[in-house]
Amino acid sequence: MRKIFNLTLGIVTSIGGFVEAGSISTAAQAGSEFGFRLLWAIAAATIFLAALAEMGGRIAAVGKRSMVAAVRERFGFHFQVVPLGAELITDVLLLTAELGGAAISVKMLTGIGFQWWIAPIGLVVWLVLWLGNFTVIENGVGFLGLVTLSFAVAAWRLQPAVAPVARGFIPTVPHHELTRYAFLSVSIVGATVSPYLLNFYASGAIEEKWTEQDLWINRATAFLGMGFGSMVAMACLITAAVVLGPRHVTVESYEQAAQMFVPVFGRWAVTLFALSLGVGCFGAAVEITLNAGYLLGQAFGWRWGVDKKRRDVSRFVTAFSIVLLLSVSIAAIGFDPLKITLISVALTVVIMPLIVLPFLVLMNEKAYVREHTSGPVGNGLLAALTILGAIMALVVIPLEIFGG
Amino acid sequence: MDVVRDVLDKAVVDRNGREMGRVDGIVVAVRDGAPPRLDAILIGPVALGERLHPGVGRLVGAVERRLGLDPDRPVRVEFRDIETVERKVRVRLTVGETAAEAVEQRLRGWVGRLPGSR
Amino acid sequence: MTPTVRLDRLLGREVYTANNRRFGRLEEFRAERHGADWVITEYVIGAAGLAERLGLGVRLILGIDRGGGYAARWDQLDLGNPDRLRLSCPVAELRRQ
Repeated sequence: MRKIFNLTLGIVTSIGGFVEAGSISTAAQAGSEFGFRLLWAIAAATIFLAALAEMGGRIAAVGKRSMVAAVRERFGFHFQVVPLGAELITDVLLLTAELGGAAISVKMLTGIGFQWWIAPIGLVVWLVLWLGNFTVIENGVGFLGLVTLSFAVAAWRLQPAVAPVARGFIPTVPHHELTRYAFLSVSIVGATVSPYLLNFYASGAIEEKWTEQDLWINRATAFLGMGFGSMVAMACLITAAVVLGPRHVTVESYEQAAQMFVPVFGRWAVTLFALSLGVGCFGAAVEITLNAGYLLGQAFGWRWGVDKKRRDVSRFVTAFSIVLLLSVSIAAIGFDPLKITLISVALTVVIMPLIVLPFLVLMNEKAYVREHTSGPVGNGLLAALTILGAIMALVVIPLEIFGG
Repeated sequence: MDVVRDVLDKAVVDRNGREMGRVDGIVVAVRDGAPPRLDAILIGPVALGERLHPGVGRLVGAVERRLGLDPDRPVRVEFRDIETVERKVRVRLTVGETAAEAVEQRLRGWVGRLPGSR
Repeated sequence: MTPTVRLDRLLGREVYTANNRRFGRLEEFRAERHGADWVITEYVIGAAGLAERLGLGVRLILGIDRGGGYAARWDQLDLGNPDRLRLSCPVAELRRQ
């Protein structure tokens, strides 16, 4: 019974940190510019993410190793330097975007410039990781994240016609703005399938000491949890499509995106949007920072974890603190948070093969998953999609930058 | 035993199961007329740096010396002191008998002093 | 003091034949217990070729790591000069694996 309760908890709290700067900004832009026609991208990306997360959870439960540890042990340090380095750089950038998004939301609530809020928000993130334990952090971030259900409420109240929404789940090629459409679909994938989420999920499985008995929980949490979170992202797209689309609003700032709440929430529009954006970004910031500690601690063999006395894991604490400090410094320079967000999600897709491909090899190794191997067909499909995505990203990103 | 597959880069734990790091390097004794003997495993950023490039190893070593860390690094564990090689490499020593935690201890001096440090 | 060498730095190094032709790369070391010691009994050498250049990790991912290699007994490879590993026997005497 306790396991069912924990499972439900895990699914509900998956919302926290799922809908964040990347998901909100890409969904808002996709909805306002292409209506419902990119819903399929969110759905496909979520399935992809859930499949990868489930695999990571499997290695953690059966092989008792996180993704990063498994890659080091199987491929060696020399190989790992490249994906690890790429992931760290992307995570610093993404963390900067989340801090910026959270700062913008505070600005929307207070009127005081967002740059002033970067350091205080960074400090709160640090305090959560300094004082909390895994359960508190996970559930705290998760429950706070429920405020993002505002998107679901808005989409529901707007009562969009069912048929066009349903059609949005079938991939179509638009008649115009092809580059922009391709760029947004790539960005949606990058925003949804964040590498940090994969290692974070697997590390969580280890912190919670999952075993082979918990594989069904792993599958349920991965698919239902991510699925639940993706519905919120889809709701954001739908709301933007219904409210901003007809007005031909191009979302170039978070403040503009907030307009999508006006018809449903009236004078509460900006407040609710700011809270949703802020809490989502804050949750993601906590997870990304914590994951930076996991990445370095696991790769180098340090003692790590937030369920241990902090002085016992000093290298782990120092590592995530430095990463957080780095992101705070970059964010405080004052770059446009929305632009940083779009750059990070695009970069994510480009580096994805480096992280996903080694991982897929592990899914066939008895040493890491015993008899719970993945079928070669499934693996082959995932590998092909990852490479395809990266190629598309490399083509589409320059086109967008130089065309847009 | 396949040394690269089963030993290199694996996590190392001491007699009590406490984390010591990872197998960052392996030293082999070359003998005349006899098969090479596995001498010791190395643990530490200097050994790891050397794997990338000798210059990197030297740089890390210089940084460690500058910080006044225990000179007994990188940590060297004789192969005879390795108990088992399974998912992790378990050694007969305790981590306190080695310099494996030198960086951890140095940082603990600061982390431990922060308020609220449990 | 017996000369020592870093096994992890030998990994991936080029192995040359006795007449200085590129043969392959050192991929694995097989060890056995002899009394209280572990000794290296065999070296696994991957065939030279384009795939080699992709690096061990990438080859594993693309699945072209299966077979096509050789196993050399400990006395069939000269570790004397780690920067230039040479087979100390004709290629024909190596075991294919």
